[in-house]
Amino acid sequence: MATKNAEAHAAVSKKYEWGFATDIEQDFAPKGLSEDTVRYISAKKGEPEWMLDWRLKAFRLWQTMEAPDWSKLNVPPIDYQDAYYYAEPKAKATIKSLDDLDPEIRRTYEKLGIPIEEQKLLANVEGAEPPRRVAVDAVFDSVSVATTFRKELEAAGVIFRSISEAIREYPDLVRKWLGKVVPQRDNYFATLNSAVFSDGTFVYVPEGVRCPMELSTYFRINAENTGQFERTLIVADKGAYVSYLEGCTAPMRDENQLHAAVVELVALDDAEIKYSTVQNWYPGDENGVGGIYNFVTKRALCQGRNSKVSWTQVETGSAITWKYPSCVLAGDGSVGEFYSVAVTNNRQQADTGTKMIHLGKNTRSTIVSKGISAGRSDNTYRGLVRVGPTAENVRNFTQCDSLLLSDQCGAHTVPYIEVRNPSAQIEHEATTSKISEDQLFYAMSRGLDQEAAVALIVNGFAREVLKQLPMEFAVEAQKLLGISLEGSVG
Amino acid sequence: MSVLELPSVREEGWRWSDPEAIAAAAAMSWSDAPVDPADYFLDLPGARIVVRDGEVDQAASDLHRVTLGHVEAAEHALGRRTAGPGWVLELAEDAAAHPVQIVHVSTGGSNHFAGAIRLADDAAAQVVETYVGAGWANRGLSVTLGKAARLMRAVRLIQAGGFTSLREDATLGQGASLVTSFLGAGAAGTRIDATIVAGEGAFAEYGGALLSAGEQRQECAVAVRHAEPNGQSHQLWRAVAADRSTASLAARVEVARHAQKADGEQSLRGLLLKRTATVNLKPELEIFADDVKCAHGATVGELDARALFYMQSRGIPRARAQALLTRAFVADALDRIGSVVVREAFVADADAWLAAAL
Repeated sequence: MATKNAEAHAAVSKKYEWGFATDIEQDFAPKGLSEDTVRYISAKKGEPEWMLDWRLKAFRLWQTMEAPDWSKLNVPPIDYQDAYYYAEPKAKATIKSLDDLDPEIRRTYEKLGIPIEEQKLLANVEGAEPPRRVAVDAVFDSVSVATTFRKELEAAGVIFRSISEAIREYPDLVRKWLGKVVPQRDNYFATLNSAVFSDGTFVYVPEGVRCPMELSTYFRINAENTGQFERTLIVADKGAYVSYLEGCTAPMRDENQLHAAVVELVALDDAEIKYSTVQNWYPGDENGVGGIYNFVTKRALCQGRNSKVSWTQVETGSAITWKYPSCVLAGDGSVGEFYSVAVTNNRQQADTGTKMIHLGKNTRSTIVSKGISAGRSDNTYRGLVRVGPTAENVRNFTQCDSLLLSDQCGAHTVPYIEVRNPSAQIEHEATTSKISEDQLFYAMSRGLDQEAAVALIVNGFAREVLKQLPMEFAVEAQKLLGISLEGSVG
Repeated sequence: MSVLELPSVREEGWRWSDPEAIAAAAAMSWSDAPVDPADYFLDLPGARIVVRDGEVDQAASDLHRVTLGHVEAAEHALGRRTAGPGWVLELAEDAAAHPVQIVHVSTGGSNHFAGAIRLADDAAAQVVETYVGAGWANRGLSVTLGKAARLMRAVRLIQAGGFTSLREDATLGQGASLVTSFLGAGAAGTRIDATIVAGEGAFAEYGGALLSAGEQRQECAVAVRHAEPNGQSHQLWRAVAADRSTASLAARVEVARHAQKADGEQSLRGLLLKRTATVNLKPELEIFADDVKCAHGATVGELDARALFYMQSRGIPRARAQALLTRAFVADALDRIGSVVVREAFVADADAWLAAAL
C-alpha cells in the first residue's frame, strides 16, 4: 500500500454532505405498531375498506413471521414498537405557487440539488423551461408533496400519481396489480410494508404509449424515528415504455432508521421499463453510528411476450443495505437486466444482488455487478439465476467484480445458479482485485494526484454500469462515487 | 433414523440436499454384500484396508503403517456422528509411505467411521478410497499437514445404492500441499462436505466430477480458507446430470484479513444430458484481504451443438460424438490425479458410467 497522506485523511473524515434535518411541523401517528396504527394510517389516507382489509391481513401475517437472518449482515435488533409509522408534513399537499411552498421544504430541495428550474416547475412559476424534461414526484417523508408535469403526462394517457391518490382515483387498476408481483407474504419486510406503507408512486402507461419524459421521484427520510415505507407500482401496458428514476438522500441522524420499501413492476407484451436508482442515504458516521437500514424488496414481472425490464442501481449510502431487485421472466422472449454499483465505506454493510427467474422460452438476462469496498465495510453480491424446466434457449451472462480499497474491508460473492433445462447457456464470471499499483503509478505519472487517479480508475471500473444511467443521474452518480471513496486509498 | 435428526433443507448450506435420501439409505435392509472388496484394490503396493459397515475387517486387511484408534470428529451435522474408533495414518518427518487403499463396503443400514491423516514436516502420502455396496456410509476425516508435507487423495464413490456422506477437515501447514480428487459415478446419493484451512504458501486443490443419473442427488459443499498469506487454491468441479437427477456444486474461497497474495481459483461447470435433470452451482467468494487474486467461472448448459455437428461431419456417429465430448468434459476434473494407475481406474469408472448413461 502506498503511504497515507494528510489530504487523504482529511477527505475520508469528510462529513456527510447532505446531512441536515429540516424543521417543519409534522403530524405523527402514535408511536408503535399495532392494528390501530394500521387503521390510523388507512383512515388518514381516506382509504376504501378493501385497502384497509388488505393492510390488516398483511399485518396479521407479519406478526407470525420472523426477521430473516441468512444474509451476511450484522443487523442489531430492531424495536418495531419504538418508531413512528406515519408522519405527514402539515404543509398542504397541493401547492399552487412557490410562495405557498413551505420555505423549509424549499430549502431542503435546494440542498437536495433539485435544480432551480425544477423548483420553479414544482411551483408552477410562469416561463420556467426545464433544461431536460423530467417529471418529479417528491416524497417528503411519507406523503407525496407535489407532482409536476401531470397535465402533459395525462395528455399522453400516462397516470403518474402518489399511490394514495391512485387508490382513491384508480381503485380498480391498483387493486388489480397491488401485491401481484410481491405478494403480501413474500418476506418479513415486504409484509411489514404491505401493512403500513404510507405513500409511494403509482405509474400506469397505457397500451402503445411511450412515456414522453423520464419520471423521477426523490425520496427523503426526514422526521426522527419515522420509518419510511414507500410502495411503488409501475404497470407498462402492451408496447409501452417508461423510464423511472429514483434518487434518495436523507438527513443525518444518530438513531438508525428503518426503510422498508416495496417496488413492483409489471411489463405486459412488448413493454419496457427502465428503473434507475441512485441511493445515498446517510451511511452512519465513521464508527457506524446512525445510518439508514435499507431493507427493500424490488421485483419486476415480465409477464408479456418480449417485454423488458432493466434495473440500474448505484448504491453508495445506508448503513445496511439488503436489496435484491429481481426479474421474473415469465413471458416468452422477455429480457431482464441488472446493472449495479455498490460502494461501501467505513462501517457500511451491503448485501445486494439480483434474482433472474427464467420461466418463459427464449428469455435472456444480463447481470453486471460492481462492488467497491473501502474502510471497514462489507460488500456482498448475492444473486440467483434460475432456469425452469420449460424455459427453452435461455441465455444468461453474469459478471460480478469486486474492488477492494483497504485491507480492513470485505468483498463477498454468493451467486446461486439453478438450471433445470439443458438448452440453457449460463455463464458466470467474477473477479476480485485491488487497484493495481501499476495503474495508479501510470495515472499519477501523467500528472494526476492520487485522489484523482483513484477516482479515474474507480469510475472506469464502474463504467459499464454508469453508462446505463440516464444522463443527469450519471453525473450525480459519478460525483457520489468520488465523494464516497475520497481518501480511502492511500 | 428420522429426517428430523438430519439437517433441514431450510438451512442455507443444505438447500440443495436430500435428507430424505439419507433417511431412506439408513433404513435399507441389511443384505449380504454381493461385492468383493478385493475387486476394487488397484495394483499398488502398500496398505489395503477393508472397512465393512464401518468396521475394519482385519482378516481381509493389510494395515501396513496404518493404525487403529480413537478419532475425534468435527462439529458438523453429519460428521460428528463419526467420532469413535477409526483409522489413523501418521507419518514422521521426511517419511514417505506406500499408498494407502481403503475400500468401504456397506451392506445396508447406516454406518459411521472416521479417519485421520497426520503428516509431519516434509512427509508425503497417497490415499485412495473406494465406496461400494449400499446403505448410508457416513465418514469423517481430519487431515493435518506439517510444513511442506504432501498428500494426494483420490476418492471414488461407486455405491450401487443408498447414500455416501463425507466430512473432511484439513489443516495445511506452511508450504504444504493437498490434492484431492473425487469421482461420483455410482447410483447412491452423495454429500461431500469439506473445510480446508491453508497456511502460509500452502497449496490446496480440491475438485472432482459428480456424475448423476436416475433420481440421484449428488452435491459438494467445499470451503477453502486462506488463513495465511501467499496461499494458492484451485477448485475444479464438473457435474453431469442425466435423467431426473440433480448435481449441485457449492464451492467457497475464503481469504482472511491478513492473507495477502492469496490466489483462489474456482471453475464450476455443469452439463445437462436430459431435459429433466438439474444442475445447481454456487461459486462463492468471501474476501477480507485487498491484495488477492480470486476469480471464479461457472457455466451450465448442454453439449456444444457446433462441436457435435463438426464431429458428425467428420463421420463420427452422433452418439459417439456425444460420448467423446462428455468424456472430455469430465476428464478435466480427473486429470489432476497424479498416479497413473489410479487415474486410469477412475477414468474407466467414469467411462462405464457414461456408456450406461448416454
